[in-house]
Amino acid sequence: MELAWYALLGLFFAGYLVLGGYDYGVGLLLARGADAARRRAALNAVGPYFLGNEVWLVAAVGILFGAFPVLEGELLAGCYPAALGALTGVILVTAGVQLRSRPDSRWARAGWDRVIMVGSLLAALGWGVVLAALLQGVPLHVDGHVAGVTHLFTPFAAATGLALVALVAAHGAAFLTLRLPAAEADRLRPLARRLVAAAVAAIAVAAVVGLLSDRVRAAAQRPAVGVLLAILLVAALLVARAALGRGRVGVAFAATATALALPVVLVGATLWPYVLVSTVEPGASLTVADAAASAPTLRLLGWLAVPLLPALLGFQAMCWWIFRGRTDGRAPVYW
Amino acid sequence: MDTLLLARLQFAATASVHFLFVAVTLGLVTLLVGLQTAWVLTGNPRYERLTRFWGQLYVINYVLGIATGIVMEFQFGLNWSGLSRYVGNVFGAPLAIETLVAFFLESTFLGMWIFGWHRLRRGVHLALLYGVALTAYASAFWIMVANSWLQNPVGYEVRGGVAHLTDFSALLTNPALWMALGHVVSAALLTGGLLMAAVSAWHLNRRTTDHALFRTSLRIGVVTATLAITFVQGFGFAQFGPVGAVQPTKFDSDNPDADALIADWTARFGPGDYLPPVPANVGLGFMILIGFGLGLLWLLLPLLWRDWIIRLRFPLWLLMLALPLPFVALILGWIAREVGRQPWVAYGLLPVDQAVSPISPWLMATSLTGFTLLLGALAVTNWVLLARHAARGAADPALGRPPAQPPADDSRPEPAFA
Repeated sequence: MELAWYALLGLFFAGYLVLGGYDYGVGLLLARGADAARRRAALNAVGPYFLGNEVWLVAAVGILFGAFPVLEGELLAGCYPAALGALTGVILVTAGVQLRSRPDSRWARAGWDRVIMVGSLLAALGWGVVLAALLQGVPLHVDGHVAGVTHLFTPFAAATGLALVALVAAHGAAFLTLRLPAAEADRLRPLARRLVAAAVAAIAVAAVVGLLSDRVRAAAQRPAVGVLLAILLVAALLVARAALGRGRVGVAFAATATALALPVVLVGATLWPYVLVSTVEPGASLTVADAAASAPTLRLLGWLAVPLLPALLGFQAMCWWIFRGRTDGRAPVYW
Repeated sequence: MDTLLLARLQFAATASVHFLFVAVTLGLVTLLVGLQTAWVLTGNPRYERLTRFWGQLYVINYVLGIATGIVMEFQFGLNWSGLSRYVGNVFGAPLAIETLVAFFLESTFLGMWIFGWHRLRRGVHLALLYGVALTAYASAFWIMVANSWLQNPVGYEVRGGVAHLTDFSALLTNPALWMALGHVVSAALLTGGLLMAAVSAWHLNRRTTDHALFRTSLRIGVVTATLAITFVQGFGFAQFGPVGAVQPTKFDSDNPDADALIADWTARFGPGDYLPPVPANVGLGFMILIGFGLGLLWLLLPLLWRDWIIRLRFPLWLLMLALPLPFVALILGWIAREVGRQPWVAYGLLPVDQAVSPISPWLMATSLTGFTLLLGALAVTNWVLLARHAARGAADPALGRPPAQPPADDSRPEPAFA
């Protein structure tokens, strides 16, 4: 039962990285031009999906709290600065996107667009560092608490944070080539290819730094799985790059989406059966089963929430279906 | 500096701002459902314009509800890791259900509603708004289930120092829940109704265009607020009995039940100050005063006859001046409920000092300052935008604007997607 909930937690967090990931990628790409119309077109490409994307994070944290309460407390409090940064980013993006078109003046809108860029950067960086913190282990003591926050400041955490920024930028560009009107999308493809290449480089650097880090090597329970998934991640990006070259933007987007979901699988599978590995006291490490809520709680959540999962996913799919295809001006321009 | 105090201040600040926005969300969405239903049933374009105008204000207000809500959700883990460690098995369940079953769907529906104008069939578009409203109420319900459990922990047993769920139905029949839920929901309707009445009054008093439109929303707002205030008062007073019975130290600590409870706590948790600070009840008295004052809305109701409420003018001023009152009362009521359970996170089960995360005070202070400034700035910006859009009138709201029409608020020369 714990495994099922762990998988569900992974599904929602990976879903957030894929869907929220292109929000942040589009947010970063607002830095691209001074042209106000282009920025607005990019945001409206995200338009109808935006509100349905960030809720995956809210749901993931809800599952974390309901099904893995001990993990929730120690992970967020133990990675305080990274979680704070990610949360600030999430808030800035959510407020920025929804409010940027409400004032009329050009400079106010340009100001909000800068808020969205900074927010996107912080969110991607913050979640990258949180994922790295899991992979490199945390100073979890026998009393069950993570001590201090300096354990976050390592070259591996920095490299992973930057890699996630590069990854969402490439993903956002792939999304725009899929969503914007054809002429504009074609102009964007070369940039998307360059961003995918940059993401490959950033991930390669993070992987090498990780392999050289004693903490990562010690924390990894199944290093072979980790390396395999990292190779898969790079392969997905190479597929995306080739597909962008041939104009197969749907394939490219699917590939970058896979690349954003894979880090979650990688962290979960490499650490299994642990979820928080202690760097100071091997006996204090937290397994998935230890971190989970007790059986009656999981049963209750299973009865109340799981039957509704098809509805949750179904209404999300309905949103994607209604607004499928390139932006064509048939829906109102709102953001 | 004291980590505990800073963490409490941060929670109080975030929750206060959150409450101000979600009350408007819940109140307005109910009125919007009525307006859009009227539009779909009658086909009268006035109701379409009303839906667009009030929908635009609703959507602007919604932003801060989400932003502060996400910060609250994270704060449980960031600042109160002891809460999830000791009582997460029970308290976490209603919160998890809220995020999955209510909020996830609410936001998904709202995105489709905003962009579905002119694209979806009218029935589907209306159904989406019903979805938004139903999930908003579900959200309020589950949050109140969680909060009531903190007020009066039930349906659990402690094994190995950790609370485990034994009886979920006890959470749903919690004496601290139902009257409080009714109180909060009717307070939200009061706030939404009064907001609608006050903004309409401003337009009617200024004699802006769209007299007929704002006359309609004035009447809807006044009737809603008047009915709601009676329910607010009823549910409010009905709470004293059940809440006082399960929390003897809350309203009045000079009673034998409170003395017995404090003796029991002193025996189990050691000596300490088990009484809530005084200000909780000072605010409560003031809130009750506001509640009685707003009860005078009933005197305005007869003035709807032959539009005397508009012709006499001064009722319009009264409505505008009354607008801040429900917001002040919301905060005071919340303080009475939350400060009144101190020094406990979960009443009689988990003291606040055991729940706070072992974080350095400097980090906590940074987080408190940063988020208070950030959310404060966003709240003020949001209110300025709300006021501007309210004042601009219903001529051409961006929400639901036909795609072919060139946006009046966007003076760019090129076509939209060039």
